[in-house]
Amino acid sequence: MTHEELRELLAPYALDALRPQEARDLETHLAACETCRRELAMLREVAGDLAAGVATATPPAALRARILDAVTPRPRVVSLPRLWGVGLAAAAALVVVLVGLNVSLNRQVTALNRDNRSLNEQLTAINERLGAQERVLALLANPASRTTPLAGSVPANVRFVYHHETQQGALVVSDLRDPGADLVYQLWLVAGQEPVSAGVFRPIQGRSIIVPVSADFSRFQVVAISVERGPTGAPRPSAAPILAGSL
Amino acid sequence: MAPRAGQDEDENTLLAQTSRRDPGAFAALYDRYGAAVYSLALKMLRDRQTAEEITQEVFLAIWRGAREFDPARGSARAWILSLAHHKSVDAVRRQRLRAAEPLSETVAAQGDVADEAVHLVADAQVRKALEGLSDGQRDAIAYAYYGGYTQQEIAERLGVPLGTIKTRMRDGMQKLRTTLRPLMTGSDG
Repeated sequence: MTHEELRELLAPYALDALRPQEARDLETHLAACETCRRELAMLREVAGDLAAGVATATPPAALRARILDAVTPRPRVVSLPRLWGVGLAAAAALVVVLVGLNVSLNRQVTALNRDNRSLNEQLTAINERLGAQERVLALLANPASRTTPLAGSVPANVRFVYHHETQQGALVVSDLRDPGADLVYQLWLVAGQEPVSAGVFRPIQGRSIIVPVSADFSRFQVVAISVERGPTGAPRPSAAPILAGSL
Repeated sequence: MAPRAGQDEDENTLLAQTSRRDPGAFAALYDRYGAAVYSLALKMLRDRQTAEEITQEVFLAIWRGAREFDPARGSARAWILSLAHHKSVDAVRRQRLRAAEPLSETVAAQGDVADEAVHLVADAQVRKALEGLSDGQRDAIAYAYYGGYTQQEIAERLGVPLGTIKTRMRDGMQKLRTTLRPLMTGSDG
C-alpha cells in the first residue's frame, strides 16, 4: 500500500473499524512513520472525547473492590525444603535450587514465547516469579547482604536478609507455627513510629519459605511481624508484634 | 473540551507509578476512569454483567501494561479510553459472532443505531459536535465507534463505496477535532 492509502486507514483505526489484517498493516507502517503516529495521536484524543461523552453510568462499588483486590500485591513466596536450613551459610545450596527453578522457568518462557499473545498473561506471571527469584538469589548470594534475626513472644526461626544498595530484602522463615484459621502473618517495616506493610504470608509446615521485599531499608529501623486477619492483612498493625528485629 | 494540561501530566505520573506496581496510583486511575470505561462498555454491549467484565479486563490490562504507555504518543486519557474501546469492540464482535446474526439485518432490526447513539451521548459538547457533522460523516463515525462495525460492514449497510466511508470518517474526525479540540494541532494543521 502507498503512504496515502495507509494514511486513509488512520481514522478507521482510531475508531477501531479496521479488519485485523488491515490494523496489522497499519501498525507496521506506524512503527516507521512519525507523521502518521502524530496524526493518530490526535485522532485518539478525539476518539477519547467520543468515549468520555457517554459517561453516565456508575459502576457498582463491588467492581472497584474486585479490581483493586486483583492487583493487591501478595508476596510470591518461595518454598524450599527444610533440609536446606536456610541461613546465609546455605546460600550456595540455595543458589543451586534457585538456579534449577530459573532454568525450568526459563524453558517455560521460551516455550511460551513461541505461542501467540493469548499466553501473555501466563508469560507475565512467570516472568514476575522469575524476576522475584532472581532478586532473592542475588540477595542471598551477596556477601554485602545483612542478616537480622527476629525474636519475640513465640518460638521461631525467622531472619530478615537485606541489602541497602539494591533495596532488595527477604524474610526467611525456617520455623514458625501456623497463625490459626483465617489469620495470616503480616510483615512490617517500621520508620520511627510509622509501620509500613511489606506483605502477608502463611508458613508452610515442614518447609522454609522466603518472602521477597523491596524497599529503601535505610528509612526503616525495625522489621516486625504481627498476626492479622487473612487473607489480605490490615492497613496498620492491630496488635503488638509477635516478632521483631532491628535493621 | 476543557483545558487539561496539568491533568494530563498528573495522569502520566499515575500511569508511571502504576507501571511500578503502585496500588494507590492504580486506584486513583480507577476513580478517574472507572465510570467512563464502564459507561462505554455498557453503551456498546447493553448488558451490565458484560460491562463489568470488560471494565475489569481493561483495568487489569492497564495494571499489567502501564509500562507500554508512551506519553509521546498521546495522553494517558486517550490511551486508557482507547484500550476500553478496543476491548468493548472485541466483545461486541464476539457477541455478534455467537449470535450468528447477519450484520446488515441486525442493524436494520435495531432501527437507526447511529441516530440513537448520538442521542445517547450525555456530554452536551460532544453531542453538539456530532450534530455538527454531515449525516454521512456522523453515521460512519457512530456506527464504527458506538456500534463496533468495521468500515466494510458500514459501507455494505449504507450501500456506499468503501472509499466514501473512509473519506467520511477522516473528514468527520477532522471536524470533530476542530470543534472539540480547537487548540490541538495535527500533522496537517
